[in-house]
Amino acid sequence: MPLVVYKNFPYTFVLLYQNMKTKITSDQLDELIICHKCHTLHKKVSITNGSKALCKSCKGVLYHRDDSLIEKGLALSITGLILFILANAFPLIKVDILGQEQVISILSMVVRLVESEYYIVALFVVYLVFIFPLMIFLIYITLFFLLKTTKKEQVVEELLILLSKIVPWNMSDIFLISILVSLVKLMGMLEIHIGISFWTLTLFVIIDIYMTRSIHIGELWKIKEEIYMEPK
Amino acid sequence: MEDKRRDIYGAKMNSLEEEQLIRCPICEAVNRDQGKKNICRRCHSKIYQHQKFQTEKSWAFLITAIIFYIPANLYPMLVIKQFGNEDGSTILGGVIVLWEMGSYPVALVILFASVFVPLLKFLLLLYLLISVKYSLGNDSKVDKHTLYYITEIIGPWSMIDVFVVAILAGLIHLSSMEMVAGAASTAFALSVFFTIMAANSFDSRLIKGRK
Ligand SMILES: [Zn+2]
Ligand SMILES: [Zn+2]
Repeated sequence: MPLVVYKNFPYTFVLLYQNMKTKITSDQLDELIICHKCHTLHKKVSITNGSKALCKSCKGVLYHRDDSLIEKGLALSITGLILFILANAFPLIKVDILGQEQVISILSMVVRLVESEYYIVALFVVYLVFIFPLMIFLIYITLFFLLKTTKKEQVVEELLILLSKIVPWNMSDIFLISILVSLVKLMGMLEIHIGISFWTLTLFVIIDIYMTRSIHIGELWKIKEEIYMEPK
Repeated sequence: MEDKRRDIYGAKMNSLEEEQLIRCPICEAVNRDQGKKNICRRCHSKIYQHQKFQTEKSWAFLITAIIFYIPANLYPMLVIKQFGNEDGSTILGGVIVLWEMGSYPVALVILFASVFVPLLKFLLLLYLLISVKYSLGNDSKVDKHTLYYITEIIGPWSMIDVFVVAILAGLIHLSSMEMVAGAASTAFALSVFFTIMAANSFDSRLIKGRK
């Protein structure tokens, strides 16, 4: 059972074998981790800063160690929020149709769907590419801020639970691909100009993907436990 | 994988204990499965509560999703109104147009996102739901967990076409030329939503073979 492959940045793989033949007792549950991808049970091992532990059977990432996660997370989430606001403040795409200029932003797109009475589609779009991404980054900022200042453990717990429920519903990355698809569809038909918001949205999506990949919610729970355990 | 592990540690190693451990989907903590009323010891979320209707909920969502997928393919996704003409194209119609235009990569992206991904998700979920009730040959449980993980992560891809419709309809609305969303966009969005719900409500404990 308890094999963890661990990856030292950048490319060295170290295999750690820990032979644990004793029975698992309930106080040992914290030392265990089940792989999200393949559900293989592992015993956690301590790894060096900046490295990640991989699953023995599927090589998926089990956990990371980043000693400056809170500071990094706070900086990234504030940057992400600013980029998201900019991505919504200016047009994403501009087109010239018969001398008339037409622009689009996420919210104008939603308004248009509501006008044409496609309420369900409008609801999906506004939640998946506006409300959820915005909420996620606001939650991240609050979370990292509270973790940094060691305040309000109860709120941190509630935010972590909320976060894990909405992260799978954030579709900013898919939306960005959809913009590219739309551009190709319009190419040749019309004159297209890419707006400022397209670039800020691209940067936002990069940060978003990086954060979802490098910050596992399980790790935040662990950090939370460590932080609030020791009285300051 | 299972067999290899047993070889290293000897056949009797804790196998019973290990089977009783579950992963909290909310906070990732390892918990001991209490059967019916599991409350995560770390985040106190109610996890894996349904014992009686373990697969029924997932079946209901999946069937709804499949039903919505039919009009999603029959009705137009996008209607182009130009100089008094109305021209609606279905998902497949749109793919064919793109292919004929020579935009092969985009045609393939749409084909993958709107046809391949939803069908794959339906098939995977059908397989998972059937195989946890009836044994279908020798299928290893590790592979099934991986299949379940795939259904979880490919879901959002199928929203591409809905977003594209929203973008085009939002961008082009002049009196001489207008693009509007078609009935299929609602059906398709709902189909995607219910497939994700079906995947989320699937009780992954069933893969371990416990009822
Ligand atoms: Zn794994
Ligand atoms: Zn939990």
